[in-house]
Amino acid sequence: MRILPILFAFAGATLAQDGATRADWNYHGGTQFAWRYSALDQINRSNVTKLVPVWAFQTGDYEMGLQSTPIVIGGTLYLSTSRSQVFALDAATGRLIWQFKYPLPRVTVPYGPQNRGIAVGGGYVLLATYDDYLIAIDQNTGQEAWRVSLDDMRQCGCTVTGAPLVVKDKVIVGGAGGDSAHRGYLTAVYLKTGRVAWRFYTIPGPGEKGHETWKGDSWKFGGGATWMTGSFDPGLNLVYWGVGNAAADNDARARYSGQGEGANLYTASVVALDADTGKLKWYHQEVPKDVWDFDSSYECVLIDREVRGQMRKLLVHVNKGGYAFVLDRVTGEYINGYPIVDNHNWTTGLTEDGKFVGRVEPVEGKPTLFCPSPFGGKSWNETAYSPRTGFLYTPTIEVCGEETAIAEEPHEGRSFIGGTWVFTNPPDGPAHSHLDAYDPVTGKRQWSYPYKYLLLASLLATGGDLVFTGDPEGFFFALDARTGTKLWSFQTGSGHRGSSVTYMLNGRQYVATPSGWGSLAAGAFPALWPETGTFRGGSALTVFALPEGTR
Amino acid sequence: MTRLSVLFLLPVLACAQDMIGRGADVFGKSCATGYCHGAKGGSGSTAPRLAARGFSEEYILQTISRGIPGTAMPAFGSVLPREELVAVIAYVDSLNGITPRNPAPEAEPEKKLPPEAARGRELFFDSLRGFGRCSTCHQVDGFGVPVASPIAIIPADAAALRRLATPHVETATVAGESFPALVVSQGKNQTKLYDLTAPPPVLRTLAPASVTLKQASDWQHARVLSTYSDAELQAILAYVRTAVAP
Repeated sequence: MRILPILFAFAGATLAQDGATRADWNYHGGTQFAWRYSALDQINRSNVTKLVPVWAFQTGDYEMGLQSTPIVIGGTLYLSTSRSQVFALDAATGRLIWQFKYPLPRVTVPYGPQNRGIAVGGGYVLLATYDDYLIAIDQNTGQEAWRVSLDDMRQCGCTVTGAPLVVKDKVIVGGAGGDSAHRGYLTAVYLKTGRVAWRFYTIPGPGEKGHETWKGDSWKFGGGATWMTGSFDPGLNLVYWGVGNAAADNDARARYSGQGEGANLYTASVVALDADTGKLKWYHQEVPKDVWDFDSSYECVLIDREVRGQMRKLLVHVNKGGYAFVLDRVTGEYINGYPIVDNHNWTTGLTEDGKFVGRVEPVEGKPTLFCPSPFGGKSWNETAYSPRTGFLYTPTIEVCGEETAIAEEPHEGRSFIGGTWVFTNPPDGPAHSHLDAYDPVTGKRQWSYPYKYLLLASLLATGGDLVFTGDPEGFFFALDARTGTKLWSFQTGSGHRGSSVTYMLNGRQYVATPSGWGSLAAGAFPALWPETGTFRGGSALTVFALPEGTR
Repeated sequence: MTRLSVLFLLPVLACAQDMIGRGADVFGKSCATGYCHGAKGGSGSTAPRLAARGFSEEYILQTISRGIPGTAMPAFGSVLPREELVAVIAYVDSLNGITPRNPAPEAEPEKKLPPEAARGRELFFDSLRGFGRCSTCHQVDGFGVPVASPIAIIPADAAALRRLATPHVETATVAGESFPALVVSQGKNQTKLYDLTAPPPVLRTLAPASVTLKQASDWQHARVLSTYSDAELQAILAYVRTAVAP
């Protein structure tokens, strides 16, 4: 029992990179490779049924649910909530060490208040608020060290919802609100001083390459939000980030120029940037001329795998359109793409070189059924990758939308969607979910765990060959990572929309899960399932471990 | 009801029907989009259903005009032209079985700026200049970041604006590095100051012993105005004169 994990650890060490966490959970995606995988195996397939709750923490801030990923470093757990509050807790007991209360502006928040996590680096907890401030809070005392305004929410209609990413001496922050008329960007700030180091606009300005893909002045209001968290490969010194859809979402007539390669660059693309300068190294546009709100904003999972007999540095990325893309992360070269949803009707598929064919687009005046819906083939809740099984785990959702295009004029900062949506069931049955295991390179589905509502919480894979997540009914559960068999579950009292983590302290492994139902996608539930209208909100962290003395 | 009063009411009702029809158009474009309300006030998207909710006239008026702070519901009173605002209120009234009022409710009057001031306003808040716009440091009309104190002195022309004396900008030295700083507060336990090295300013909270302050600095207003031409600055001054009441 002791030798086996060590052997596996050695196998892992021979790989060029290691995306596993161990005692701590340092980054939003576990490590900068975004695997959401921990090598910890004290809790495993044979003893997971013995898990017990050891402490719980109520944040008191249940607006829009608890959507965060906790960060755990050196025995302290840091947790943010939707209204930009931060808590530092003793990771063994849940005792409150400090709380940072952000003074909230009493104004409308575009798309509602949401926060998906903080970052920790340089001695600071980095909080990006929904009104576009980046704040450095002393990691030990909870005192503010610096704050800088990255935009004016009331003017741009944009917010920050994603967790920042610490990269060397900087912290990189994306922006949300790509459905509002504004021009998206990614900003890097020096940890030490709060000064802006660089800003990458996701829409090239006049004179820059790619600008020609925008018609007239449409580039000024073209969206391209960077609303989730990217990844970093220290060996290549490249930052990878997903860029959202172009605005107006459902109507490309006023923005698509037909000039140059691609359409409305660099929206609906994955970009690779030099970490020091923010200069574009390569891009891959997944959905050129996106008219379905199929952002490319989700996590970039960095793995090294064999492709046709050759070890390659890869980036695996799930797009909202329900397809996963496999790219060479050195060059951006397209390697493979495959659907993760069963219901996809907006295209007849991908060509060998990654181009979508047989597109069906929304039209004005007549609703058309599209699968997936603008919620995507998965929502923003993140995938996990286990180097032990070699599988990528996806929380896939099967929900469609009746979409109608509307010709709309942009007004800076105002909603600029150019369409109306009604979320509906797929043609062949009720909306539902399946948590799947894939060979990440070939896209071959290994097993599938079905679920009656939508799974909207991130996944966590561990060295104990477990996959953890929670469901909207409040159950936190563990699956066998090799077979998808459900091994254990616990009712936490409210639905799950956040991201679980695991850590080790004084020889004991803990698994922490945020629960608290809410968010935009949760708001659409009652229309699909009337009985879910009674699901209560909440905002708590529940932490589990094996009983003392059990190993 | 007498024949006369029916005849008398007809134009009012016809006018109300027109307004509801107009409101339905506005609702379709401004409310039933994307992540917000469903078509015809129904559910189906993520914001609540609005039809047949038993809302009061007052509640509809207030919510549409002023929004719901802390949520995604905007204050349409400051977003929509008055005519569209009145129409969309009448439409949501009609979805809740309320006969539209006559006369229509008061909406916030629109501010019309003279052309040069209007151009100046665009330039003041011009997001395409990134951090190089005036509103990176100045708040006017409730927009922008209030780094500088409210604008009180308005220079006569572009040259004077560039030369603007800034005696309150000091030189701070922290951890061996000196930079131009605007002190916000100095207390027993903390000194708060803006680091003005380059836009955007960074508000730093420091232990008083860790910072040395020296009167005056080499910081110049002209340095942060470099994205604007003289003509543009003239327009900005025209806007500021209109917006900042003497």
